Formats: sequence, structure tokens, C-alpha cells
Amino acid sequence: MTRINQPHPVLRVDNLCVEFATTAGQIRAVDQLSFSVEAGQTLGIVGESGCGKSVTSLAIMGLLPKPAGRIVDGSVLLDGQELTRLPEGRLRQLRGAELSMIFQEPMTALNPVYSIARQMTAVLKRHQQLSARQARHRAIEMLARVGIPRPDQRIDDYPHQLSGGMRQRVMIAMALSCQPKLLIADEPTTALDVTTQAQVLRQMVDLQQELGTAVILITHDLGVIAETCDQAVVMYCGSKVEQAPVADLFLQPRHPYTAGLMQSIPRIREHKLDRLPVIEGQVPNLAALPPGCRFAGRCPNREDRCVQQQPPLTERGAQQFACFNPWNGPVES
Amino acid sequence: MSDPGIILPAPEPAAARLRPERTSLWGRALDQFRRDHAAITGLAIVAVFFLMAVGVWFGWWGTQWSQALGGRWEGPSGGHWLGTNLLGQDIFQRAVYSTRTAFEIGLIVAILSTLLGGLLGALSGFYSSRWIDSVLLWLMGTLDSIPFYLFVAAVAVAMAGNPWAMHIAMVATFWTTTARLVRGEVIKLKNLEFVEAAHAIGLGQFRIIFRHLLPNTFHILLVQGTIVFVSAIKAEVILSFLGLGVQDGVSWGLMIAESTQEVLAGQYMNFIVASSFMFVLVMAFNLFSDGLQDALDPRRAPR
Amino acid sequence: MELLSYVIRKLIGGIPLILGVTLISFVLMVYFGPDKTFELLSKNPTEAEIAQVRAQLGYDRPFLVRYAEYLKEMATLDFGFSDSTGERVSSILSRTIPVSLALLAPGFVLGNLLGIVLGLVAAWYRGGWVDKLIMGGAVVGMSISFLVVIVAFQALFGVVLGWFPVRGWNVHDLPSYAYYVTVPTLASVFVALGYNTRFFRAVLVEEINRDHVRTARAFGARPAEILFRNVLMNAMIPIVTRILFSIPLIVVSGSLLIESYFGIPGIGKVTFDAITSGDQPILKAVVGLTAVLFVLILIVTDILYRVVDPRVSLTGDAR
Ligand SMILES: Nc1ncnc2c1ncn2[C@@H]1O[C@H](COP(=O)(O)OP(=O)(O)OP(=O)(O)O)[C@@H](O)[C@H]1O
Ligand SMILES: [Mg+2]
Repeated sequence: MTRINQPHPVLRVDNLCVEFATTAGQIRAVDQLSFSVEAGQTLGIVGESGCGKSVTSLAIMGLLPKPAGRIVDGSVLLDGQELTRLPEGRLRQLRGAELSMIFQEPMTALNPVYSIARQMTAVLKRHQQLSARQARHRAIEMLARVGIPRPDQRIDDYPHQLSGGMRQRVMIAMALSCQPKLLIADEPTTALDVTTQAQVLRQMVDLQQELGTAVILITHDLGVIAETCDQAVVMYCGSKVEQAPVADLFLQPRHPYTAGLMQSIPRIREHKLDRLPVIEGQVPNLAALPPGCRFAGRCPNREDRCVQQQPPLTERGAQQFACFNPWNGPVES
Repeated sequence: MSDPGIILPAPEPAAARLRPERTSLWGRALDQFRRDHAAITGLAIVAVFFLMAVGVWFGWWGTQWSQALGGRWEGPSGGHWLGTNLLGQDIFQRAVYSTRTAFEIGLIVAILSTLLGGLLGALSGFYSSRWIDSVLLWLMGTLDSIPFYLFVAAVAVAMAGNPWAMHIAMVATFWTTTARLVRGEVIKLKNLEFVEAAHAIGLGQFRIIFRHLLPNTFHILLVQGTIVFVSAIKAEVILSFLGLGVQDGVSWGLMIAESTQEVLAGQYMNFIVASSFMFVLVMAFNLFSDGLQDALDPRRAPR
Repeated sequence: MELLSYVIRKLIGGIPLILGVTLISFVLMVYFGPDKTFELLSKNPTEAEIAQVRAQLGYDRPFLVRYAEYLKEMATLDFGFSDSTGERVSSILSRTIPVSLALLAPGFVLGNLLGIVLGLVAAWYRGGWVDKLIMGGAVVGMSISFLVVIVAFQALFGVVLGWFPVRGWNVHDLPSYAYYVTVPTLASVFVALGYNTRFFRAVLVEEINRDHVRTARAFGARPAEILFRNVLMNAMIPIVTRILFSIPLIVVSGSLLIESYFGIPGIGKVTFDAITSGDQPILKAVVGLTAVLFVLILIVTDILYRVVDPRVSLTGDAR
């Protein structure tokens, strides 16, 4: 995929730590997470349910549920600007304009009592001092670009008159309408059927390429990662266990967890996976994490030190992984 | 991270490490209720009032509520803790005696209307979209459309001074809310497996209703009971003021009604005492009822 | 056209409700209502005289015949004259209903508006101290009897401070209206606010947890915009339902206490007096009007549903 070379990345997340206050005590949902995304690039984040993918994206957007969730450490730099210390009012001006987010459930993500036109133009008017007519014009143009037929008519529909795929396209159009620098897509296609899923993803990637937007794509589906991403981050229990360019990752996964994920992908994917393939064992409880590697309990390569010490991130070429005893063998599926 | 010297066993499944949680509705509700300080305080205050009422029943106190023991509008003293009213009756004794009246009305109305509401609601839900359901729904809609105080007045007049007119009118209007809630729950429950299984093994319909459906709506009945209790006490005050309420004995409503003249004359004791007694009991009951609802209705858990 | 046929269908559907309300009121207020035989008789009536008066009053005819008669008079709007004052029922109604409406409207509007505002604030800060404060206040408000509030407010504003009248309704212009309506309004707002706030907060919190609220936040909407467009507008159906359905109960029932206490000649007081004295022409009129009002409100709510929610259609097919 094309890569626009730029001196510094659009988004740089550094040592991000997010905690939740719960009845069971303080939970660390994201632990020392670092990654960066460049303009026009797509970064995939994979990991099991509950590993902190959504929390990461909400933390970047400054939308963690208050007062329970809090960024306790780390920084989020958008184009060199520190977001974690920005006052809410400033952050609000950035949301939808500089950084956008789309969510998993297209059926419920739009406000049911207003037409698509009302909702899309509201965003445009809010961020781009457009007149009502200009905003409408722009919204129709965006709808056309995400492949909605007869957008000048569809724009006056209400969400319930559109199919799930159409609604997700509307969300994508709305999210990209102000040409944000960064788009976070949290499982944008999980709720759609296979064919629609592919189409919607295609449309999103095309538009992103045209606009040069940096994308974080969160998914359960390694196939989606393979098809659409440049880089991939694998998360486990709130922290990054591996990161690599997608080609390297599929060629030689280093973390046994990644390898396990890949091993369980069926060769010929006839139906979409809405959850990750099953790996033996249980995810540890976030409220009582073991001192060592969090994956140790389920790891085939476990050594003694794995349960005593957390393995640090090791770099090998463009690939990073947190494992004492990395996977070397082939990945069979 | 911490203590790298100790070798931990492989982590056991997450579920096993969690604090053993009670799984049943009632177990969880009890846990939740115990943590709810406001609800516990409410319950304690209700218990105190209940003891006060029991004492009146047994004649331990509040016996001299009707005699004129002192002069009119005497201030608080050792003999009359909270002073006397227009007729020289002891305000404290009257307020205490009224606690019994309040509990009588509250309990009778709450128990009868929850029973009626539960029963008719279960029937309506069990036979949903059959004629019996239509009739019951029509009845509920009709009763809900008649303004409450007019209805009570009409019942009172129709029953020509019968002391139970007020209770009957309250039960007749209060049962509908409970019935609607129970109906909804029963419709939900009856499609569940265990009810279908009961059908399959040939249990009779009434047996299914009484043994399997109604017991599973008990949490609704309990919460509704507390809500109706409060409504009944509050309605009594207004009905007594209108002359439709308590016929013999004394109640907070009657005390407030008689105090309205005193207030215009600048005598506030009767009014304040009766209002305060009532306020504290109703408030305590509201807190208790809220706690029950939070504990028993998973949808009301704090979000 | 669609609307008209819809309204007609709804009116027909409302007939059972009207029959129900009239039947119950007939049974309670007429059939078992006050017996007026002896009011019309001289000191020591003979058996024959009694029988004659009873026949004259229609007491000797069968239940169904009397009920049919009652319905017929109601349907033809022929309410005749009040038994006790001899005044035309229609003129009594047209005199007292406006008074009740003028008396209750400010409190009704304020009570609901304030309730919605407080509910929105509490829902926005749900779980925080603002929420706890508002909801704590609501429970306190709910625990105070209407009667206590009226007595206390009257004593405070009328007797102690002397700012407002203690009783009466001598309204001829705006200042005099404000003079007489203030204390009743304050009292009814105070009493309704606790219940309203709690109800509104519950439905608003339900909406505030929806996905589209999160979407709006992710697109930089301001809190005020989110509260109005995403939260309030989506909670309109339960809100409209509650507000509209409380109207008939408040007009007839809620007015009763205020009107009797402040000596205001409104419809609540008139109805109450009619029940206790067995003034059947007035009762017929009030009961019939209440039932019709309910059916009308059923129709208006359905139409409003469609206004506030594009997913609702009057034919009832869309979800
Ligand atoms: N509001 C909250 N309060 C407490 N803990 C939370 C909250 N939201 C998330 N968490 C914790 O954060 C962890 C990560 O949640 P997150 O939603 O990010 O998972 P995810 O990776 O997006 O999973 P999924 O694939 O199911 O969407 C959860 O396991 C949960 O324990
Ligand atoms: Mg998620």
C-alpha cells in the first residue's frame, strides 16, 4: 500500500496506562501501551474480547467513562499536540474534525429521531463554518464517495430506513467529512454480513487512501488485518504483546499468542469470524494479574521465568514482541 | 512486577478466583441491600414506627388520645410532651396513636391490593390475548381513567359512611399498577422453559400459575407493596381532610385537618407534629422501597 | 385522509373505555348514590307518596334501563339543571372549568419543565454528587403530603408574610391573577416536582446510555446539544405519555384539594360537592367529559408519537 513519508507520525501513543475504579478495586485495562500511526497508514489492533482495544480508542478520543475511567500515565500526541492534558472544550473541537471514530453497532450508532442530513450537516456546521446549503452539498458528496446510491435522496432518510451496511457507510462518510487526520474504527464491520463487510471495508480504505487519513482499525478478524492494514498490534490483557508490519507478522509470528491466533484461522474462510479463534485456557482477571507474563497460563512455550517476570518488549527488525521464548516454528492452520 | 522471587502456579480459571458471588436474585439482592445505607436506615426507622404502632395495639401507650386532659394550646411540658391542641388533647399521644392508624391503613391496603393485583395480573398475563385478558385490561384502563379522589368520594358516598369505604376505594384503584407489572412479567415467564416443561408434564393451569408463575413475580409484589403502602398513607391524609377518610379514631390526616384552623390562629404545634411524624415515616419507607427496587431490579443498578 | 380515518378508528376503539368509565360512575354515583327520595317529601310521607316520588325519580326501574337513560342523556349532551342550585349544568361547567385551568396551568407547566430540567441535569451527572443531591431532594419532596405543603405555604405566604391572599379567587386582570395563583402554583410545583424529576431522570438515563449519544460525543457535540437532541428528543415518547395522561387526573382530581382549601370555585370543588350531595346532572356531565377527554388524549398522544419519532407510524406497522 502507498505510504506517504512524513517526518513524524500523525498519532503517537506512548506508555498509555488506563485504569478503572470498580467495586473489585482499581483495574488496569490498558498497560504501558505504545504505538504510532502515520498519515495514510492503517494500523490494526487485534486481541481477545476484553483485552482493552475499545478502552484504548476511547482513551485516545478522551471519551473514557467518567469518573470511573482515567488515563493514569502516558501520552497521546496527535500531530505533535498532547491530547491527554487538553481541556474538554478544546478536545471537543478536535473530535469529529481532527480525529473521528466509528463504532461497532451501525444499527444504533445514529440518532433515530433525526434524518441523515440533519446529523451529517450538524457535524459539518459545527467544525467547518459551512452554510446549511454548503454542508448539505458536502454531505451528499461524502455519501456518494462511500458508495451510497442516489445520495441526494437517501440523505433525507432516517436511520431506520437504511440497512446496516448503509448505516455504517453513513458513519464512515460522517467520520471522514471533515477530513480528520485520524480515524479510529472500532470493529466497524463485525455486525455486518460477509459480503457487506468486504464492501464497506473496501470503501473505507479507498476513501482513506484518497484523503490520506491515518486509520486505527480494531478487529477480531486476522483476515481483515491481512487485507487492509500496514502494521498490526496484538494486545493481550491490556498490553501489547507483539507489533509488526503485517507481512512480517503473518510470515513469522513471534509471540506464542499471535501464533496461536493464526494457527486457528481456517484456511478457506467461508464465513466471517465474529470472535477470535479459541485458544485453550482462561484470560487472567484484570483485578488480580499475575506478576509474570500474562499469557503464561496458556502458553505452550512457558518457562520458569515467564511466571516470575514480565518479558520486556524485544525488537527484531521491524518486529517487536514481549516474550522470553519466542515462537520460531512455522504456523500451521 | 512485585515479588519476582515467588513462583506462582499457573493461574487458575478467572471464575474460580472471583469472590464467591451469590447467584440467585434474592441472594444478590440481599448483598446489594446490605450495602445500601440509606435503605437500611429507612428500614430501621420503619421498624421503630412499627413498634410504636404495636405498642398502641397492646395498649402500652397512646391510650389517652381522645380525652381533653389539659387546657387549649398548652405548650410542651412534662405532662404533655408536645403540648395540647384546640380541645386540650395531648398532641403527642394523638400522634403516637395515629401511627397505628397509619400502619393499619397502609398494611391493609398494601396487602389487599398487591394480592388482587398479583392474582388478576397473573391471570391476565397467563391468558394473554384471550377474552379474560381483554376484560381485565379494559377494567384496568377504566379504573385508571377515573380521577382518584372522585372515585373515593363516590365509593364513600355509595357505601354511606361505611368505615371501610376508604380502604376499598384505595384497593380498587391501586391494584392496577401491580397487575400491569405482574402481567408483563408473567407473559415473559410463561415462554420460558420451565413453564413449558410444566405444561408438558401435564400440570394444571392453576397449579402452574400459583406454583410456578406467581412466586417468580414476588419481587415485583414486594416492591409494589411498599409503594402502595406509602401511597395509602399519603392518600389518607387528603381523604381525611376532605371528610372521607378515617371515621373513628385519629390519624395524622385528621390531626392536620383540625390543625388548619389552628395554623391561621398562629398555633403550629399540632400541624408540625402530625406532619413531621408522617414525613419521617413516609420518607423512611420511600428510602426502604428505593433500596428494594435497586436491589431487586437489575435494570436499576447504577450505571 | 389517513389521519381522519385513523381518528375515527381510534374513537371507535375508545368506546369500551367510555362505556367502562360511565358504567362504574353510574353504579357508584347513581345506582348506589345518595337517595333523594326524602328530600322531595313532606314531613310524614305515606307509603303511596314515597312510591310516587321514587317512580318520579326513576328509582323503581331496572338497572339496565336506568343506565341506558344515563348514557342517552350523556350522548345528547342534555345535562339539564343542577339539582341543588337549579343552574344550567352547561353554564356551571363553562364558569368553573376555565377557573380550574387558569389555576392549574402554571403549576402544571412549571412542574413538568422544572422536572425535565432537573432530570436532565441529574442524568448527565448520574452517579455524581449533583445527581445524588437532586434525587435526594426528590425523595424528600415525595415524602411531604400535598396537604402539608398547602397548609404550610398558605401559613407562610398568606399569614406570616402576608404577601398573598389566604383564600379566594377574585381575578379580573393579570396582576390579580398573579396575586391569587402564586401560592397554589408554588404548592403544586413543590408537590409534583419530586415525582416528575424521578420519572424524567429514569427515562433520560435510559437514553443517555445509548450508542448514539456516544457517537454524538465522538463527533464533538456539546453537552447541551447532546442533552437536547440525543437524550431529550429520544425520550419524548414516555415523556409525552406521562404529561398528557396526567392532564385529566390533575384537572379533576388535583384541583379538588387546592380548590377546597383556597375556596376557589373550580370544577374540582363543584364535582366533589356534587358527589357528596348527589347532584346527578353535574356528575353525569363531569364523568362523561372525563371519559371523552381520556379518549381524546389517547388519540393526541398517538399523533404526537408520530411527530416526535419518525419510526412510529399511525397504522402501527413500523416498529
Ligand atoms: N466502564 C468500565 N468500568 C470498568 N471496567 C471497564 C469499563 N470498560 C471497560 N472495562 C474493562 O476494560 C477491559 C477492556 O475492555 P474493552 O472494551 O476495551 O475490551 P475490547 O478489547 O474492546 O473487547 P471487545 O473485543 O469485546 O470489544 C474490560 O475487560 C473491562 O474489564
Ligand atoms: Mg470493544
